[in-house]
Amino acid sequence: MSLDNILNNWSDYRKAAEEGGFYDPEGNHPYEHRWTMSINLDLCNGCNACSTACYAENNLAFVGKERFEKGHAMSWMRIERYWDDQDKDYPEKGASFLPMMCQQCGAATCEPVCPVAATYHTPDGLNAQVYNRCIGSRYCSNNCPYRVRYFNFYSYYDDAWPEPMQQQLNPDITVRDKGVMEKCTFCVQRIRSAKDKAQMEDRPVRDGEVMPACAQSCPTSAIVFGDTLDENSAISKLWKKHQVKRNVTQQHKENPELRGYRIFEELNVDPSVMYLERVREEV
Amino acid sequence: MMVNEKDINEQIAWAKINTDVLRSMENPRKSYWVAVAVCLAMVACAMLAEYIQYTVGMGVSNLNNPHMWDMYIATFVFWIGMSHSGTLLSAILHLLHADWRKPIYRFAEAMTTFSLLTAGLFPIIHLGRVWNMYWVLPYVSDRGIWPNFRSPLVWDAFAISTYLSASMLFLFIGMIPDLAICRDNTTGWRKKLYTALSLGWEGNDRQWRNFRKVYLLMACFLIPLAVSVHSIVSADFAMSIMPGWHVTSFPPYFVAGALYSGCAAIITLFIMLRYFFRFEEYMTLPIMEKTAKLTFAIAMVWTYLNLIEFASVWYGHDMYNKELLIAKATGPYAWVFWTMLFCGSVVPFALAIRKLRRHMPTMFVVSILLNVGMFFERWMIVAPTLSLSHEPWQWDVMWGSIVQWALVFGSFGWFGLLFLVFVKVFPSVSMYEVKEMVFHRNMTAGQRDVLRMTDHAKPVKQTPGVEGA
Amino acid sequence: MMGWGGAGTLLAGCDMPSTVTLEEGREEVISYLSPEEYVIPGVGVWYASTCTQCAAGCGIHGRVREGRVLKLEGNPVSPVNKGKLCQMGQAGVQGHYNPDRITTPLLRSGGSLSPVSWEKAEQVLAEKLGGVKGDRFAWFTGSISGHQLSLVSSHLDAMGSTNHFVHEVVNNSVAQSVYADMFGDDAPRLRIDKAKMVLSFGADFMGASESPLLYSGDYSRFRTAETRGLLVQVEPKMSLTGGSADLWMPIRPGTEGVLALGIANLLLNKLKMSDAGIPADVREMINKYDVTSVARITGVAGHRIQRVAALLQERSPSLVLAGATVEGHTHGYASTAAVMMINHILGNVGKTIEPGARVPFPQLAAKRGGTADLAAFAEAAKGQQLDVVIFHGSNPAYTAPASLGLDDGLANIGFKVAIAQFPDETAMAADLVLPVASYLEDWGTLAPAFLGGEAALQVQQPLMEKLHAETRGFGDIVLALLKQRKAADFDKFEDYYGYLRNAFAALPASVKGGADSDEAFWNGALQAGVVMLPADTAPLRSTVVAFSEPREADDAAGGLMLIPSPRMGLWDGRHANLPWLQEAPDQISKVVWDSWAEIHPETAQKNGISQGDLISVRSAHGEIRTRAVLLKSVHRDVVAVPLGQGHEVYGRYAEGIGANPLKIIDPARDAKTGELAMYATRVSIKHVAGPEQFGLVKAGGSDTQAGRKLVVTVSAKQLRRTEGA
Repeated sequence: MSLDNILNNWSDYRKAAEEGGFYDPEGNHPYEHRWTMSINLDLCNGCNACSTACYAENNLAFVGKERFEKGHAMSWMRIERYWDDQDKDYPEKGASFLPMMCQQCGAATCEPVCPVAATYHTPDGLNAQVYNRCIGSRYCSNNCPYRVRYFNFYSYYDDAWPEPMQQQLNPDITVRDKGVMEKCTFCVQRIRSAKDKAQMEDRPVRDGEVMPACAQSCPTSAIVFGDTLDENSAISKLWKKHQVKRNVTQQHKENPELRGYRIFEELNVDPSVMYLERVREEV
Repeated sequence: MMVNEKDINEQIAWAKINTDVLRSMENPRKSYWVAVAVCLAMVACAMLAEYIQYTVGMGVSNLNNPHMWDMYIATFVFWIGMSHSGTLLSAILHLLHADWRKPIYRFAEAMTTFSLLTAGLFPIIHLGRVWNMYWVLPYVSDRGIWPNFRSPLVWDAFAISTYLSASMLFLFIGMIPDLAICRDNTTGWRKKLYTALSLGWEGNDRQWRNFRKVYLLMACFLIPLAVSVHSIVSADFAMSIMPGWHVTSFPPYFVAGALYSGCAAIITLFIMLRYFFRFEEYMTLPIMEKTAKLTFAIAMVWTYLNLIEFASVWYGHDMYNKELLIAKATGPYAWVFWTMLFCGSVVPFALAIRKLRRHMPTMFVVSILLNVGMFFERWMIVAPTLSLSHEPWQWDVMWGSIVQWALVFGSFGWFGLLFLVFVKVFPSVSMYEVKEMVFHRNMTAGQRDVLRMTDHAKPVKQTPGVEGA
Repeated sequence: MMGWGGAGTLLAGCDMPSTVTLEEGREEVISYLSPEEYVIPGVGVWYASTCTQCAAGCGIHGRVREGRVLKLEGNPVSPVNKGKLCQMGQAGVQGHYNPDRITTPLLRSGGSLSPVSWEKAEQVLAEKLGGVKGDRFAWFTGSISGHQLSLVSSHLDAMGSTNHFVHEVVNNSVAQSVYADMFGDDAPRLRIDKAKMVLSFGADFMGASESPLLYSGDYSRFRTAETRGLLVQVEPKMSLTGGSADLWMPIRPGTEGVLALGIANLLLNKLKMSDAGIPADVREMINKYDVTSVARITGVAGHRIQRVAALLQERSPSLVLAGATVEGHTHGYASTAAVMMINHILGNVGKTIEPGARVPFPQLAAKRGGTADLAAFAEAAKGQQLDVVIFHGSNPAYTAPASLGLDDGLANIGFKVAIAQFPDETAMAADLVLPVASYLEDWGTLAPAFLGGEAALQVQQPLMEKLHAETRGFGDIVLALLKQRKAADFDKFEDYYGYLRNAFAALPASVKGGADSDEAFWNGALQAGVVMLPADTAPLRSTVVAFSEPREADDAAGGLMLIPSPRMGLWDGRHANLPWLQEAPDQISKVVWDSWAEIHPETAQKNGISQGDLISVRSAHGEIRTRAVLLKSVHRDVVAVPLGQGHEVYGRYAEGIGANPLKIIDPARDAKTGELAMYATRVSIKHVAGPEQFGLVKAGGSDTQAGRKLVVTVSAKQLRRTEGA
């Protein structure tokens, strides 16, 4: 390859790596979707409906008190609760709730370090975890700044689904054995079914047809999910409204007071989840 | 005025060298069997622990989210580090013509090989699905899947296996003349073994010349290999984005730490072999002093690199790194941190004091302390970063379970076992090299010049029947 | 490399997952003989039904594959939850598939319960029912509505009894009484979404309330309205809703009424709002409570009170709510009335308080439970006035405070029947246990309360065949009992399904709309999961009733008050056997698989208690032991212990965990309604033991964001600038 070629095409190549597939400057993307999410922290009340829905949908094992204490819990979607204003007598502005799950980073730090390529970037913009390839070296989890990767430290299926509870298991998704890493997949099984259905009916996937379990359950509708390659989708409009762009380590907005932001984007991981700042009125 | 002690008794007879070293391989006394039993017991504990871990799951080791690596990786890095001793002594010092290494490099090189064999166990043990470990190796699979060549763990697999095979080869080749001596002086199964291994060595001129060339080549090959292996192992950490791991000075830091660890281990084994096999003639005080001085120098290099790391945190103004360093020094891991600094930077000053340097019991204790410091350093690298990284919700302090400790101690038993077998089957002092050393020390300056000239001279055409000098 | 080869063979011999032969891997695959034509193996079919995890009655869609229900989602068509589902709803499948369900009838003989056949069970029951007269027979249920209520009422009628005890721990009975007296409607529609400001006195409307998802949807619209709504929450312990407040203020328990009077004082005297409709003695009472004295009594800062009052006037229409912590005192009615009075002053009635949608068929309208019936039941039982009681949907043996003496009372009841799904305390104390089907395998209807506009009748249909052959639907059980008494009326129904079909066919044309036939209407109802009913609404009136001084006689006595707090999750203890809900951390304290006592750090320090210590919480009626969690989100004078744990039986996931604060509650009653004053128990705390490794288990390694930009908070002013809200 000539030096000229490398220099001229390097940025294209990098863009392709970052945008999860083939980068076409003309915008004729051969890939159909870029799944993205937005969570409105002003609506999230920390109720745990999304977390429980995720347990139900994705065959997550409950681990019990002792294993929870040891740090072996498997909550792909977890609600973090922080107290701000610790110097005040009482938390006057309530609690800060943060739903945290795999951010499906565009430049995921977990992907390059897996020795067996068990995690890779799909053309849909998802960070996929291949359970049957994983040998459990756990490097990916170490490299995740959000710490949203969960490891099967035991064969949880021994305890978590006593007869007849195993009948509740979702057949669209595996039950993982010990030694395998797992994490939120944006309910890839739902994405798959929707794509299959759309393909059978010879039409594109409609906005709102795919809803991950968390988004579907959220009582305050804080979670919005969709395809940013579809300009008319609710999520595209939301990202545009808050002027949040991908592939940057710092947002430079025309109006910096817009509430959209991404967590740890300065680490250059390009997360696919935008959070809307929580609002508190001064009383 | 310092007494100019000799590194080795220049009047020692070559036959005596043979007898002394061969005597070390005689049928062992009771204390040897006790040592073997202890090592076997440690290995048995480790095997039981691994069985439990294999059948129940990694959870028994107390690893958790976020703390996914702990003692296994720390021990792995520690053993890789220890393996640099042999390379340093046999290869680097060989190139530098430091002939005081000659009586001690053999067991150091053996230590390298066995350290690598021990280290190689840990990337396997720490896997969640151990039975699939071979997927890390590039082989033609019917699914057409290759390992991820971007991953430092795959580089590890390549680097360690290359280093291991090269080390074993180097050890073996370097032993050939000695194995011939053994062959000529033993009977029974030993004779058969040494005959096979010595590859028909006769000690003629052509063989010696070829031997020298190969040895030199391998030494040159091994040095960059050693540096690259530990740099690659450091890439396991340096290639991640975690605070405390994402440090560009990790490759030299790790290599320095490895040399440090290796040298300290050499001192420990030096003293033990000297005592048990009565090798006082060969593993002399001056050589001990030189080794100690070398260790001290490396200790200072390591200290410097450590300070660089702290300095970069200070001027880097990165919140995560700063917090982590402060947590290392003051948080739950503080006792490990300060022990590491004490053992790694303060204790080596004992090596600088001549009186202490020459006192074997002190040196024994000091060398062990140095290695304790190095072990803690490895642990310090792995654990605090995982406990305290970007996401505060997932901060968690974790201490290893008995399963982890059993496997870690078992690795020392495994190493000990290998080493104990080695010292009884193979000569742990290089007989021919000691003879060379004595010879060179006995030469006058003039004779040395002649030798140097003939070294570079073209080889004389051999006529059949004429033996080499 | 030397070791690897050997290790490999060693490992291969162990318990290693290997490929399964055809013979080993052979399984029984059960398929339908003749499945419905829309059932494709591998593709889920969605059926609509209704959730019964709490009394709200949200609509659900169940995903069914290969004849079993896998996952529940909200029913978008249901007016209650509009497609959303809370964590309790999601965990419904775990109740359905719970390994500790009762699967056969149990009859007590020789002191313990042993399995019997249904024939035997029915025979014994028929005997016992045959021998009981009138009011000596009772039904004891939880909140109940729809055709199940209709059948239960019919059965009581047939037995000649009027004793229907309805009991719920999480209730708003006192508020209902106030609503009825003030507005003429005991279940008005509270329009949080229409309010510009909500002042909530401990009303955890998104958490433990009468319809959490209805209000969560409202809240969503409240926050995203053109002018973002302002939420101020005042309560002794931070609830789920309190966690989302713009301003959260702790208040001394029992003084909420005083705060309400203080705010009324400001609104009337300072901000010159109209006092029309306020009785003279109430007006006088208001005048007594100036800001300074209110601040002193309640512990809420004076400037805050003034600010809140000013905002209430500015942000019109507003909404002021009263929750369980207001109701749960001996002056609960008075306090709630004081709080509701603020709505009257602000003119909120008709704007954010709208008429509730009353179900036009009174026999189907919800009978909502409280604790007054529990107390009455305990009295009746102790007084040996009951011979046969049937329990369903309630667990009084667990929820009753020890001081009521219900255990003795239960012993006095001649024959206790529990129609139960799980082996809870009440079932295990019963003489006959009839295993009932779960809500996912049963028919039914449910009339949700607190809806506005149109009334709704939620439809419940089985999402799969019965999991356990020996369980029966609740409706079927009651129908069978009715057939014994009123054969003429009920023999024509083969089962509850038949009864419902008949009932639906009998609905008036106004309900059936344009359906072609009864069959079409029925199928439409099943598909939608809900039948909309024309509501009986009458406009609300806005009056202020006379109420006594909303204060405890001894509220200056100080000391700690026990707050037995229910939460979205384990609720009142009924969901302790669902492991997902045990593992879901409490929203505020993040504790899992345990109970705990929330104490303010200063209070803890005064008592020598640190985080994770085992402490004793002692009232005049008992003692519980649990672990301390130090949080600033409680008032200094409060010990908040969550409801839900402390089960002695109830299955493997609930047994022996934590402590039950309900047991040590003082038996004080609200003066007006007779409801138990649940939040009026004085307690003392004592350190018992230090923390242990698996003592208190919490999620989360840090309580602060440690300088990271995780949850960023901006001011409402900024929001107004950028988004015009």
